[in-house]
Amino acid sequence: MALGTLDRSLPPFFNQGPSVLSKLVLCGALSVFLMVADARFHMTQPVRAALVSVLEPVQWLALKPADAVRYSRDYVSGLNQAQSNSAEAGKKLALQSLRAGQVEALAQENSRLRKLLGLREQLATSVLATSIMAAEVLYDVADPYTRKVILGKGQLQGVALGSPVLDEFGVLGQVTRVHPLVSEVTLLIDGELSIPVLNVRTGARSVAYGDPGTGSSGMELRFMGSNADVQPGDLLTTSGVDGVYPPGLPVAKINHIERRSQSAFLKIDCQPLALVSGTQHVIVVKPVADRPPRPVPNAPPVRSKKESAP
Amino acid sequence: MIMRSGQQLLLPASPLFIWSSLFAALLLNMLPLGRVLWLPDFLALVLLFWSVHQPLRVGVGVAFMFGLFMDVNQTSLLGLHALAYTVLSYFASQVQRHLLWYKVPLQALQVLPLLAAAHAVQMLVRVVGSGIFPGWLLLLAPLLEAALWPVVSVLLLAPQRRAPDQDENRPL
Repeated sequence: MALGTLDRSLPPFFNQGPSVLSKLVLCGALSVFLMVADARFHMTQPVRAALVSVLEPVQWLALKPADAVRYSRDYVSGLNQAQSNSAEAGKKLALQSLRAGQVEALAQENSRLRKLLGLREQLATSVLATSIMAAEVLYDVADPYTRKVILGKGQLQGVALGSPVLDEFGVLGQVTRVHPLVSEVTLLIDGELSIPVLNVRTGARSVAYGDPGTGSSGMELRFMGSNADVQPGDLLTTSGVDGVYPPGLPVAKINHIERRSQSAFLKIDCQPLALVSGTQHVIVVKPVADRPPRPVPNAPPVRSKKESAP
Repeated sequence: MIMRSGQQLLLPASPLFIWSSLFAALLLNMLPLGRVLWLPDFLALVLLFWSVHQPLRVGVGVAFMFGLFMDVNQTSLLGLHALAYTVLSYFASQVQRHLLWYKVPLQALQVLPLLAAAHAVQMLVRVVGSGIFPGWLLLLAPLLEAALWPVVSVLLLAPQRRAPDQDENRPL
């Protein structure tokens, strides 16, 4: 018999290490501890960032086939597709340049009117222009329970935690984790994200929640009384009251309204305007953080002279 | 060593091959295929395979580590996949002694509950944690993984099935 058939390492009669059960208990307890630390105390960010950095080359390798497929598809689709894309982009640009020309005049008029009325200066569009950054979506997270994408820019490129992320159609989501080289964006349709919105037609403010359930277009407008003025097709934009999203960015369109007799609220189904799947290039905006300071919770109420005088 | 009659005597497994197969499975899991509910978890399958065939080389500790990698990649709760893979690897070590006495299709039938348990651990934590249930298509994933067991058995045992002394008649 050839020597190669034998496993020639010493049989580990005495050196078996800890038993499998003890390993199970140890690793199980460690993973439960990690889950609690992650969910309740948010302490695992350094561990996560380290593991992400370790996995970076593997991730890079795993993205190569997808890139190759995309490249070859673009290559095969050829000249016709490229020409029609270019024509469409040109048309869109023409339309937008018309509007952009009007914006300057309108902004000036708006600021004059605001001064006239003594209102606080709204966030200028120039602020928006200086603090944006383009980024590429690396991949959609495959996890079926959440709706997230990974961006190819991170802390080193200046992505801040909580930054709004937009695509060419509207708000896409928010940066919820920042690693050194990549960052994680939770989409608007994730069940854990909510966004303050303004109904453009009526001016009513409310909050839209992500709704990943089946039979839903992706978002839900909650706590609107059954007599509220909403119509299918209403445009919702960011209201800007949260200090995160700049005001006036398109978010969603109301898709379907259901009146339920057993509830005091309407069930309003909204369709996000941004491409929630298959988007490639996005814009990361710095959070606005331009809001009045929070009131101190236990401060004594300030009384006017009229009230204090008996 | 006592073996099933008619079973081929295998060469010792090369550690390099074990690790590169685990790495390849991790890579397969990381491919950006989008959000497909029934996508089989290749890494769980390969971890289970080596936990059964090489319990001294791949065990609970390795499964835990690869689970952490998957958690980071899927941005899930840190420790979720680690817990599932740990449980899977432990069960594998429990059934390891009798599983190899069966033929491969019967083995596939017997690993099905283990793979289903690994998915169930993840689903339980998810449903308790976030209250979202993504859909019944999820049940297809362990079935597909069990169906892949014979394929994995052939692929991963192939290097050990080479001839012990190669000559020009038997080059492999």
